[in-house]
Amino acid sequence: MNPIRIALDKATGSATLLRRATLCAVVAALAGIALLALAGWFLTAAAMAGAAGTVAVQAFNYLVPSAAIRLLAILRTVSRYGERLWSHRAALEAMGGLRASLFARLAAQDSRTALPLSSGDAAARLTGDIDALEDLVVRRPSRIAGFMAALAGVMLAASGSWLSALLLAVMLAALPLLLRILARRLTEAPTQQAADALGALRARYVELASARAEIAAYGLGDRVMAELAPLTSRLDQARARLFIGEGVQAALLAAYSALAVMLVLLGAHAPAPLVALALLASAGAVEAMAGLSRTAFRQASVDAGLARLAALDALPLDDAPAPSAATAQAIRLGAVELPPGARVAVTGRSGSGKSLLAEGLAGLRPVTADVALGGHPLPACSGTELRDQFALSPQDAPMLAGSIADNLRLARPGIDAADMADALHVACLDQRIASLPGGIDYRLGEAGGTLSGGERKRLSLARALLTGRPWLLLDEPTEGLDAATEALLISRLRIWLDRTGTGLILISHRPAPLTLTDRQVPVSAIAPQPGQGLPGVASAA
Amino acid sequence: MGWVIDIIGAALFAAGLAQGVSALADGVAIGWLAPLLLLAGGLVRAAGLMLAHVQAIRSAQRIVAARRSALLPRLLGGRLARPLLAGENATLAIDHLAAIEAHGARFLPIRKAAALGPLLVAVIVATASWVSAAIMLATLIPFAFGMVLAGTAARAAAERQLAALAELSGLFVDRLRALPLIRHHGAQARISRQVAGAAQEVAARTGAVLRVAFLSGAVLEFFAALSVALVAVYCGFALLGLLPFPAPEALDLRAALFALALAPEFYLPMRRLAAAYHDKQMGEAADKAIAAALPEAEVAPHPASPPFDGLHLRDLRIGIGSGIGPVSLTLKAHDLIALTGPTGSGKTSMLAAIAGQIDPASGERTPVDPARIAWAAQRPLLLPGSLADNIALARPDADRAEIAQVAARVGLTPMLAARPEGLDLPIDHQGAGLSGGERRRIGLARAILSERPVLLCDEPTADLDAESAADIIALLVALSAERAILVATHDHRLTAAARMEVML
Repeated sequence: MNPIRIALDKATGSATLLRRATLCAVVAALAGIALLALAGWFLTAAAMAGAAGTVAVQAFNYLVPSAAIRLLAILRTVSRYGERLWSHRAALEAMGGLRASLFARLAAQDSRTALPLSSGDAAARLTGDIDALEDLVVRRPSRIAGFMAALAGVMLAASGSWLSALLLAVMLAALPLLLRILARRLTEAPTQQAADALGALRARYVELASARAEIAAYGLGDRVMAELAPLTSRLDQARARLFIGEGVQAALLAAYSALAVMLVLLGAHAPAPLVALALLASAGAVEAMAGLSRTAFRQASVDAGLARLAALDALPLDDAPAPSAATAQAIRLGAVELPPGARVAVTGRSGSGKSLLAEGLAGLRPVTADVALGGHPLPACSGTELRDQFALSPQDAPMLAGSIADNLRLARPGIDAADMADALHVACLDQRIASLPGGIDYRLGEAGGTLSGGERKRLSLARALLTGRPWLLLDEPTEGLDAATEALLISRLRIWLDRTGTGLILISHRPAPLTLTDRQVPVSAIAPQPGQGLPGVASAA
Repeated sequence: MGWVIDIIGAALFAAGLAQGVSALADGVAIGWLAPLLLLAGGLVRAAGLMLAHVQAIRSAQRIVAARRSALLPRLLGGRLARPLLAGENATLAIDHLAAIEAHGARFLPIRKAAALGPLLVAVIVATASWVSAAIMLATLIPFAFGMVLAGTAARAAAERQLAALAELSGLFVDRLRALPLIRHHGAQARISRQVAGAAQEVAARTGAVLRVAFLSGAVLEFFAALSVALVAVYCGFALLGLLPFPAPEALDLRAALFALALAPEFYLPMRRLAAAYHDKQMGEAADKAIAAALPEAEVAPHPASPPFDGLHLRDLRIGIGSGIGPVSLTLKAHDLIALTGPTGSGKTSMLAAIAGQIDPASGERTPVDPARIAWAAQRPLLLPGSLADNIALARPDADRAEIAQVAARVGLTPMLAARPEGLDLPIDHQGAGLSGGERRRIGLARAILSERPVLLCDEPTADLDAESAADIIALLVALSAERAILVATHDHRLTAAARMEVML
C-alpha cells in the first residue's frame, strides 16, 4: 500500500486538508501560468493596436485583461498560501496519526521478540523515516498541480498551433520518464555509497568515542583522525556526487524548458499575441513540473525508509488485555520449587546471567534457563502471564521523560497520591522528593538525568512496589547506598513484604539485602545445561 | 559566479522570446536569431546552475573539512563541557556536521545571490525599459516593509513550530525507547493514548502558528506576482499610448516583452532563499549544539608541574542539574581506592572528570598534568597494527624488551605463547580473535608502560572469569605499591582489596 495513503488513513480530516491543499496548488499553478501568458498576449496585442492607430486603440478592450492580470497575481498569492498552510496541516495531522498508530502497534508486540528500539539509533531512524514521509505528503499537492499545469500549458500552446501543442505535449510527457531515468543514474549509486560510508563511519566513530578516555589520556587524537580520514572522504565524495546530481537535474530542466519554448515558437502559425501567449505558457508548464524532479531525486533515499514504515504498519495490533489482579502462581527455578510469597536470592558471580534471568522472568527477553511458572516452562508462557506475575526493578532503572508522578503512575492505572507516598516511603525516597521543586511533579530529564543513579534505582523500586503483582524482582536494589539508608530500606521493605505477602526474587552482591530472603539459589543450578553459562552472557553483563 | 551566469542565461532567453514575437508582430519571418537565443539562454542557464552547484558543494565541504579536523580531535580526545554518550558524540561529529554542510551548500551561496541577483536583473531590464526596472525596484520598498512586519512574527512562529515539533519528536523517541518498560507495566494503551494525544495537541496548537509562519512567504509571493503584473500593465498601457502621464520612455514590443519575461527573475533568488530557510535553521541549531558540548577554551598546558604527590577531590560534580556526584576523596601517591556505584551512575564519566577530560560543574580537584594520568579502559582502544604497536600506543618510543616485560606482567604470556607471531600479532580495529580478558590486559599493559604515576581503571574485572579477575586484582594491588590507582568497579572482591571505597 502506498505509504502516503497509509498515513492519511490514520488521521480523519487529513485527506480533506490535503484535497484542499491540492485544489489550492492547482489554482496557484494555473494562475501562475495564466498570469505570464495573459501578460504576454496583452503586451503584444496592445503593441499591435498601438501601431495600428487611434481607432484600433479605442477599440482595444484593455480593462478586462489588465484587471485579469491583477486578479491572477492576487489569486496566485492567496492560493499558494492556502496550499502551504493546508498541506503542512494535513502532513502534521497525518504524521500525528501515523506516530500514534505505529506506537500502538509496536507497544502491542511481545518484548521478547519485538524490534529492539531502546538503543536510540533505531528510534532515531524511525523518526527519520516518518519525517521523509511527511515531506512527501507536503509535496504531494504540488506534484498533482504540476500535471494539471502541464495540461493547461498544452491547451494554451494550442493557440500557437496544433503542432506547437503537440510538440509541447510530447516533451512534457517525456519529462517524468527522463527525470526518472536521470534520477536513477545520478542518485542510486551515490545514495547507496553515502549510506554505506555513513554506516561505516558511524560504527567506527562510536567505537572510538567509547575509547575516548584513552584517546584523551594518551593524546592519540591525530592517530585516530588519520584512521577516520578515508571514511570521511568516502562520505564527502558520495554526498558531493548527490549534490552535483541535483545541479544536473536543475540544469536539465532549464535547458529542457528553453528547448520546449523554441520548438513551440518554430511550430507556431498564429497571430503574434497568441504566439506570445503560447510561448510564455509553455515555459510556465515546464517549470511547474519541476516539483516532480525533486521527488524523483529523493526517491532513492526514501524508498527503504518507506518500506520499513509499511512493514511496521503491517504488524498485528491485538490489544493486550489490561493488567488484572492475577492469582499468584508458584515458580520453579531449576529444581527449586517456590510457592507464592517465597523470598529467594539468586546468586552467582558477575556476568553469570542473573540479570538476564530477572529480565527473562519479567518477559523482557527470551530465557533459556530451566524455569517454570505455574507448572509451565517459561517460553510457553505468554507475555501477559509473565507481566501479571512479576514486577521488575531492573539494574539500569529506566525512566520516562516526564514527572516523578508520571513514572510512578506507569505502574498501574488508578494510583492515588497516598499510594505513591507510601511506596516512596518504603523506598526511602520520600524526603528527597519532598525537597525537589514541585515535589512529586518534578520533571525528570531524558533517562532520569536529574536524579542520581541510586535515587533512580529507588524510584524504580517504588514503581515496582506500586504494581501490586505477586512477585517482586529486584536487581541490586541497594547498590550505591550508604549502610544506614540501606538498613532502613531493608527494614521497611521487610515490613512491606510481610504486609502484602508478595514473593521476592532478589539479586544482590551486597550481604545486607540477602537477609530479606530465606534461601539462595545459585544461578548455575538453573542453567539449561549444567556447567555452561547462558548464551550471550558475556557481552550483555 | 554561477548565479550571475544563470541570470545572463535568463536574459538571453528573454531576448529570444522578445525577438521572436516582435518579428511575428512585424509580420516578418521568425528567422534563426530568436530560436538560437532561446536555446542559448537555456544552455547558459544550465551551465550557470551546474557551476553554482559545484561551487556550492565544494565550498561547503571545504568549510566542513576545516571544522571537522578541528572538532573531531576535541570530541574524541579533548576536554568536554559535559559527559557525552558515544552515540551523542557521533551525532555531533557526523549528523551535526552534515547539517552544517547543508547550510553551507544550500543556504550560504543563495544568500549572496539573493542580495545581488535582483539588482543585476534590474540593471539588465533597465537596458530595455528603465521604467520597468524602476517599478521592480520600487516594489522592494513595500516588500521590505511587509517582510519586517510579517517576518518578525513569522520567524517567531516558525521557531515555536520547530520547538513544538522537536518536543513531540522527543516524546515519541523517549516512549519508543521505554517500550519494554511500558509493556512490562501493561501501560501500552495508556501511553499510546498519551502519544496520540500529544500529536493531536501539537497539530491543533500549531494550526494557528502555521498561519503566521507562512505569512512572510505570502508577502514574498505577493510582491513577486505584483511586480510581474505591474510591469505588464505599465508596458501594455505604454504600448497603447494610454498612460495617464507623459510617456517617460519610448517603448517598443521587443523591449516590453524582454522586461516582462525577465520580471519573474527579479524575485526568484529571494524565493530560492526562502526555500533554503530550513537548512539555515538546522545549520544554526547544529552550530549551537556543538558549541554547547565543548568548553569555551582549552586549558593551558601544565608546564613543569611538581612531582605527583596525591590527588584531592572535594564535592566534585559533573553534568547538568544534580548530574553525577558529588565525590570527595584523597588519593595518595601509592594507593588503591575503589569508586563504586550502580551501572549507569556515571563512574566512567567521574573518572574522566578526575582525569581532566570533562569540566566539572562544581567542586574542586587538584590540577594534575594530564600527561601524568594513565587510563585502563573496560574495552581498550585497538588500532590496526601489531600487538606491540597497540601496547606501545601510550609510549611509542618504548623498546621491545620493555613491551615484552609489561606484556608478561599483565599475564599475556599464555596468549603470546599460543600464537606464532608473538608480539607481532596483527590486530584489526575490532580486535577480532582477542577475548575480552586479553583486550583488558592489553589496556593495562599500555597503562603500565606509560610509566605515569596515576592510573585510572574502569571496571578492570567486569565480565572476567573468577580466576582472571583474581589475577587482575592481585596485579592492581601490587601496582598500588608504586603508583596511585583509582578503580571504578562494582566488583566486591576488588572493593575489598582496595584501601577504601568511595560511593557515587
